[in-house]
Amino acid sequence: MTRFSDKKIRARNASAWLVPDGDNRTDHRLRGDMRRFADDDEVDIVIVGCGAGGATLMQRLARAGWSVVALDAGPFWDPDADWVSDEAASHRLYWTEPRVITGDDPVPLGSNNSGRGVGGSMVHYAGYTPRFHPSDFETASLDGVGADWPISYQDLKPYYEAIEEELPVSGQDWPWGDPHSYRYSPHPVSGNGEIFLRGAAAIGLNARVGPVAIANGRFGNRPHCIYRGFCLQGCKVNAKASPLITHVPDALAQGAEIRANCMVSSIEVGDNGLAKGVTYFTGGVEHFQRARMVAVAGYSIETPRLLLLSASKRFPDGLCNDEGQVGHYIMVQGAPQTAGRFAQEIRMFKAPPPEVSSEQYYETDPTKDYKRGFSIQTVSPLPITWAEHVAAQGHWGEVLREYMRDYVHWSTLGALCEFLPRYRNSVTLADEKDRHGLPVARFSYSQSDNDTALMKAAQRVMEDILKGAGAEEVMTIDRFAHLVGGCRMAASPSDGVVDATQRSFAVPNLYITDGSVLPTQGSANPALTIMALAARCADHLIAGSRRGLRPELIRQ
Amino acid sequence: MPFRPPDARAITPGGKGRFPGFDVLDGVEHWDDVTAGVVLARLDPQPDISFFTAAEQATAEALFDQLLGQEAEPKVPVLELVDRRLALGQTDGWRYEEMPEDSAAWQQTLAALDMDAKAFHDKRFHELSWSQQGTLVQAVHDAEVWHSLPGSQVWSLWTRYASTAFYSHPWAWNEIGFGGPAYPRGYKALGVDKREGWEVADHHSVDPVTFAGRVERAKRRHANTTGAMHQSPQGKR
Repeated sequence: MTRFSDKKIRARNASAWLVPDGDNRTDHRLRGDMRRFADDDEVDIVIVGCGAGGATLMQRLARAGWSVVALDAGPFWDPDADWVSDEAASHRLYWTEPRVITGDDPVPLGSNNSGRGVGGSMVHYAGYTPRFHPSDFETASLDGVGADWPISYQDLKPYYEAIEEELPVSGQDWPWGDPHSYRYSPHPVSGNGEIFLRGAAAIGLNARVGPVAIANGRFGNRPHCIYRGFCLQGCKVNAKASPLITHVPDALAQGAEIRANCMVSSIEVGDNGLAKGVTYFTGGVEHFQRARMVAVAGYSIETPRLLLLSASKRFPDGLCNDEGQVGHYIMVQGAPQTAGRFAQEIRMFKAPPPEVSSEQYYETDPTKDYKRGFSIQTVSPLPITWAEHVAAQGHWGEVLREYMRDYVHWSTLGALCEFLPRYRNSVTLADEKDRHGLPVARFSYSQSDNDTALMKAAQRVMEDILKGAGAEEVMTIDRFAHLVGGCRMAASPSDGVVDATQRSFAVPNLYITDGSVLPTQGSANPALTIMALAARCADHLIAGSRRGLRPELIRQ
Repeated sequence: MPFRPPDARAITPGGKGRFPGFDVLDGVEHWDDVTAGVVLARLDPQPDISFFTAAEQATAEALFDQLLGQEAEPKVPVLELVDRRLALGQTDGWRYEEMPEDSAAWQQTLAALDMDAKAFHDKRFHELSWSQQGTLVQAVHDAEVWHSLPGSQVWSLWTRYASTAFYSHPWAWNEIGFGGPAYPRGYKALGVDKREGWEVADHHSVDPVTFAGRVERAKRRHANTTGAMHQSPQGKR
């Protein structure tokens, strides 16, 4: 029984119908039959990185008849064979090539903010897919902090709607930002979600179930969620959305090629000032893929790193870096996590970590001494992550074990605080080299006073919620989550790396289509916005000069 | 079953736990094969130590016992699990700029811990009493700078590796009532105080002391061992 027709969605993106409906989660034949280009073929576009931004762009352009090659540094995942219901053995999902972190508040990388392989970080994100608020696009004008985007919420809105349908997203009607509804009704909540709803009601806070990119029901051939709680380890069920199942299958069916395990080392620019392709390593051997256009979608650390690695005579400080903008204004969200102890059993490891959220404190509150705000969401750490939370209180040895033995009694909330963009928060190249001989990224982060004030405010609200629900003890760990910025979108080259269409100011056929273009981040999880931006960029490319389009490839 | 001798059901580290009879390994037949492979490998006889030198091995083993409060058998083989990880170069993919890369950082900090033992007690770290060891470890936790490394970053390195090894082991899951791998079975009984048929309730009858009382007891014992005032929450980031 279908409540509504998916026909229109299928007509523009058939991915959910291209994954198998049996016990296998991957159509190996679709991958085996994938169209293949030679390095010497000048393809319409080569895309670096196959995550939220790269895969979405690839699917749209392949549909429009473009010849597309997407390169990813990591594997072409097979959820059946490569992913496990296990925390420690899921490390391979993260970017584990060396990186150096520094600054006043160094940000550990890995599970929270770095992906690897086809599907990108969305393979192991929680699954929250909130939109940004209209105010996020003009924080400088409204609040005197952050930056104004060269586009508005209205420019992105149709793409939010399209991507929400394609993931698809489940949740209650959304009252914050630009109020909207979701196609799928909210999921049932587990103990952890119940506690949030109970505590929110007790203190008069509005909290809602959703929005999560897990269909509450079947979607195409993708089965219903089984509530196993391992969203952050890669969804073996095919229930939680990631580009690996939401955009890659359709892209392959439309003739795109994905080359996994290919580490791009530089973008080559010709004497005419145009990009002519990318150099990459695979199997230890260097290759060069020719292309009429290049899109970089390696995320906030690898995208700036690649531009800096692509320095040349014309661009001595790094490609597109004449104005010293590449690698700057990187943002993380402050993500304090507060847990409460209850006499009853919560067993927060059951059901997806993303369940209930609130954006009541998202916007600037004029009565407070800080600008912008934060959101609050359920999180549900598995044992290793939970041990980190307990150890952060200073507990070790016997005390750590005693707290850990009490795991089933704890409920956990996480906040996302809107940290403001700062020039000094940056990616540069370190002296250390990776195994390809390429300098690794050095990522420096320092919080501003506003950032720190938001962390404290969010912690207080989470403590109030948990105590309102009856917690006898609360404990908090200060963490960070997500990464955006580093090659931001701006109205002029002195303020950013790409223009409103995500085309680089410096090289007319070079685009950046990932989270690094975000000028501000709100307190929303960024995945949906990154996909929506990539879809918008694709529309611009398809409608534009068509310089890269081969007419004979246009499908009827 | 091949992965478990007949007398080895519902094992918990040091025989401690609050879920009597609960054994995540009872569910192995419900796990997917790939997950079962990686989890059960942690129960295999561990290969010989290959990263740590003999001298480092003795110090590391005593340090891991301290960090995880493993005083009695059966013990989760933390030393072996960390050794294998370091031998394979499985890092978290980042390091603090002030710290050497992980393998060098381990070698350096284990040597430094031994130097502390020598300086204070004229013995190797592993030769010290449980309480003497605990005091030295607590001092690292409390130190701003320790042997010219940032104390908090040394602590982060130690606890990240130790906790990841310990809480990846099915015996630790038995101890804390965690259901372990959940694919393709999933969960059906969601909600406060709801349990699947195979889950075991926290057994207050075994240890009727309240949570607050138990934690207080552990903190007192810990403080007596290490001579440290216990840190208040938020004391450490």
